[in-house]
Amino acid sequence: MATPKELSDFLIAVERRAFKQTAYAVRDDHAALDIVQDAMMKLAEKYGNNPVTEFPMLFQRILQNTMRDYWRRQKVRNLWTTLLSSFGGSSDGGEERDPLDTIDVEDDSDEPSAQLARSQTIGLIERALEKLPARQREAFVLRYWEEMDVAETASIMGCSDGSVKTHCSRAVRALAAELKKQGLDKLGLSGDMVTNKGSKS
Amino acid sequence: MNTHKNKTTKVTEKAKDSNVMDDTRDTELMVETQIANNIIDLLNHRAQDLTSAEVQRLSAARSLAVTQLTNLQTQAASHHGVNQSGHVLQWFGHHVGQHKIMSSALLVAAMLLAFFVVQQFSFKHNLENSDAFLLASDLPPEAYADKGFNAWLDSN
Repeated sequence: MATPKELSDFLIAVERRAFKQTAYAVRDDHAALDIVQDAMMKLAEKYGNNPVTEFPMLFQRILQNTMRDYWRRQKVRNLWTTLLSSFGGSSDGGEERDPLDTIDVEDDSDEPSAQLARSQTIGLIERALEKLPARQREAFVLRYWEEMDVAETASIMGCSDGSVKTHCSRAVRALAAELKKQGLDKLGLSGDMVTNKGSKS
Repeated sequence: MNTHKNKTTKVTEKAKDSNVMDDTRDTELMVETQIANNIIDLLNHRAQDLTSAEVQRLSAARSLAVTQLTNLQTQAASHHGVNQSGHVLQWFGHHVGQHKIMSSALLVAAMLLAFFVVQQFSFKHNLENSDAFLLASDLPPEAYADKGFNAWLDSN
């Protein structure tokens, strides 16, 4: 059984990542905060008596399910909004691209220009991540950001190990291709890899 | 002879091809992992760079969750405590509470013993009463053992 202190320590360790991951998925910071809070509460309510070692898997599973619930609700809401709002004010569809964003990453410099470049690079990555298909993003985040192994990721996503590998591979390729398109070549990109296979969801 | 050579060459070429494919796949995997790690480094950097409002909100959410767990555990503990304090064995201390089966058996044995002792005393007491009654009555005690006397009582 986990103590409140253990739960608190665990949440401190994961909350920021969880928030960012959710924000990339739902593209709304306020909704992301709500989702993370819901996930935290569910973890405490339903699994507070589980050992703390099970928390990472449980929390990720809860977080992913809460995101799915959010998307379902959004789908229904969007349907009604679309029906009711007729044709006015349709969105642009894509993000605005600033040519200044295509600045290469400087690795080890604390100068303001380098910080700006890094910030812009991160912005690009975030947008590329948001553009990924949901399953690919989920696989990428769990596998590489949460450092879960293939089996754990598959268990959370409810799919086979092979699917996880495929999703991860496609996600990385898609990200690499997107970043290369923006002129970022210093992220360990291999030109062949990006151009040969490309990305398909 | 020539066909055998050709076959051997083909098999060798296939093996070489599969080795080359494996190597390519390994290299691709390494590159993928490298890219993913570089991206994750940047994302981790961004995750530490939240606004104070976001940090506060996350902290509040965390506090709520921790309070929720504390409340649940307190409730569970008090519920458990009620159950335990309602248990007779708890009156005999913590050790008794921990070895429930043994202690229950001991308690039952003690109750049975007490019951027999009480029974024993009350039986003796009854005997004494009946003896006193017989000795103090007008009829001689032998009259109650005489079957003829009972028949005579019934007929009258």
